[in-house]
Amino acid sequence: MAQNQNMNAGFRAGLKNELPLWVQEELLTEETAKKLSEKYQLDELKVESSRLLSAVIFTIGSILLGGGVISFVAANWEYISSPVKLVILFTALIGLHVTGYFLWHIKGWTRLGHALIFCGCLVFGANVGLIAQIFHIRGDWYSGFGAWAIGSLVMAWAVRSWLIGLLVIFTSFIWFTGFGADYHERLATIYPFALAASLLPLAWIVRSRVLYAATLLGVIVAASIVPLFSSYQNGNVMLATIAASGFFVWALGEIHGTLNLREEFGNITSGLGLSVLAFGAYISSFHYNSDSSNKITFPWLLIVFIALSIAGLIILIKSESRRTWLLVGISGVAALLCASALLAGLSSNPNTDALTIISNIAAFTLGAAIIGIGITEERRAAFWLGSLYVILLILSRFLEYDTSLLLKSAAFLICGVLVIVAGVGYERHLRKKTVLGVSREKEAGAL
Amino acid sequence: MSKQMRLAVFVAALVIQVAILVGIPARRAYTLATGKSVSLKIRPVDPYDILSGYFVTFSFDVSVRANFPKVPDLGVEETCYAILERDADGSWKPVSLERSIPASLPENRIALKGQNRYGQIVYGIENFYIPETSRNTIQEDLNRNRDKAYVDIKVDSSGNAALERLRIEDRVYENK
Repeated sequence: MAQNQNMNAGFRAGLKNELPLWVQEELLTEETAKKLSEKYQLDELKVESSRLLSAVIFTIGSILLGGGVISFVAANWEYISSPVKLVILFTALIGLHVTGYFLWHIKGWTRLGHALIFCGCLVFGANVGLIAQIFHIRGDWYSGFGAWAIGSLVMAWAVRSWLIGLLVIFTSFIWFTGFGADYHERLATIYPFALAASLLPLAWIVRSRVLYAATLLGVIVAASIVPLFSSYQNGNVMLATIAASGFFVWALGEIHGTLNLREEFGNITSGLGLSVLAFGAYISSFHYNSDSSNKITFPWLLIVFIALSIAGLIILIKSESRRTWLLVGISGVAALLCASALLAGLSSNPNTDALTIISNIAAFTLGAAIIGIGITEERRAAFWLGSLYVILLILSRFLEYDTSLLLKSAAFLICGVLVIVAGVGYERHLRKKTVLGVSREKEAGAL
Repeated sequence: MSKQMRLAVFVAALVIQVAILVGIPARRAYTLATGKSVSLKIRPVDPYDILSGYFVTFSFDVSVRANFPKVPDLGVEETCYAILERDADGSWKPVSLERSIPASLPENRIALKGQNRYGQIVYGIENFYIPETSRNTIQEDLNRNRDKAYVDIKVDSSGNAALERLRIEDRVYENK
């Protein structure tokens, strides 16, 4: 495991408890125990936990104080004159930001300072609404979220905050849905690119996996719903976009891991891509309906994602990834899903039965691939999630089509038995490997 | 990044946030400070806005195109200017709708900038925010005295308008 994963407080606390026992049972010498204690800074645990406790207490106290002040102001808001209201709003905004910065960068109280600046951005959003209210200004309902997003984005970059970055995703996405639904489909197409350009570099710089994955998710969801803003509302183009974007994000995750580019981003990104692909495959596995108009506005985003996916595929092939079988499987699945959705959406008279069968083959293949990851790489979560996904597909088919109760009950029973048998078999396999691994280490130690 | 650079970047971000907040009402504040006072009779409608609290939506006599004797052929969301004239009784009546603002107007006339939307002329002064505690009072007052409700607005030299207060008979509702 990477060192940072070993440094989590729970592991270190457990290690601190176990070390004396291991020394007593002569599994370790005192010297080895001392070296381990120094390596994992076990003596710092008490200090860190009291610092953490202080940070939590400060945060809760600040929130309660802030809540009290806000409630008091709100109760008397109607009786306060407009100039005084404006002074209160600007004082709160500037006060939170300046105090947060001071605590963060001068006193070194990182968590509290960061929390206060984040609160400042929340207050900024509230101020947008309150100032509009004071001057009786009403634009389109989503405009306020747009202003909130821009102000928060600027501050996120200024203080390098992943948390404010998440706020930007939330507020800008709300703006995007309102703006796009308000007959601005063409301009709304720019949003996924703008979101990626403004936040992916920030996530990269601050090494935040959460912000990176959340931004990619925001881009995928936004790109997928753009076709619904069109007057033609082609749902099958949406499915094709989900498939293409899911594959691209999965490939991106593999590239992170294979080429050692921010390797820590690899797993979460691949996992996100597979989840999106699985979601798209699941939706597609239900019987296709062709879009009645089979017309669309030009699908810029779908074209971009297909191009990016092809580029990602080429990079992975050239990098000689060890997991060739997975690369072939996942790209095949994505291609089948994308093609089926496009055919259903654009053909004047598509064979929807054939397309549905193809989508189900793709979905089951994807489930098998995820289970395969679990078995070959001994990743429990992948095995179980893959198994549950396959079971979900089977059960959905039985519930979707008109079958007898007896057949449905047989399906449920068989699926239940399969899950138990497969799970027990897998856990035994893992345990056997662990035991073999320990035996080999002991033999190597004895030699 | 050096400490000074980091501080400079932070201050710049804060200034941008303040500038956004100042920019939102800037035009309205300028209009309120420099504009001419006008009273318009209203016809209220009442929805609920979840983002900005409670508000009343107004419609005016000058919102209806048919009330203007002379109306050009306006496109959707095209900007236009309503020319209003003050009557002897102090009320403002519609005279004409123009595509551009006249270079000069007599003292008893003003130009009010609007947009042709959804078959009506919209001036940006159709929404009046009312505090939650006063909502029921104002709503009942409006329902009982529909024909006696006016809004006082200010109109600047470019035709932009800003709401000042709502008047129903001798009762005044405004942000102080």
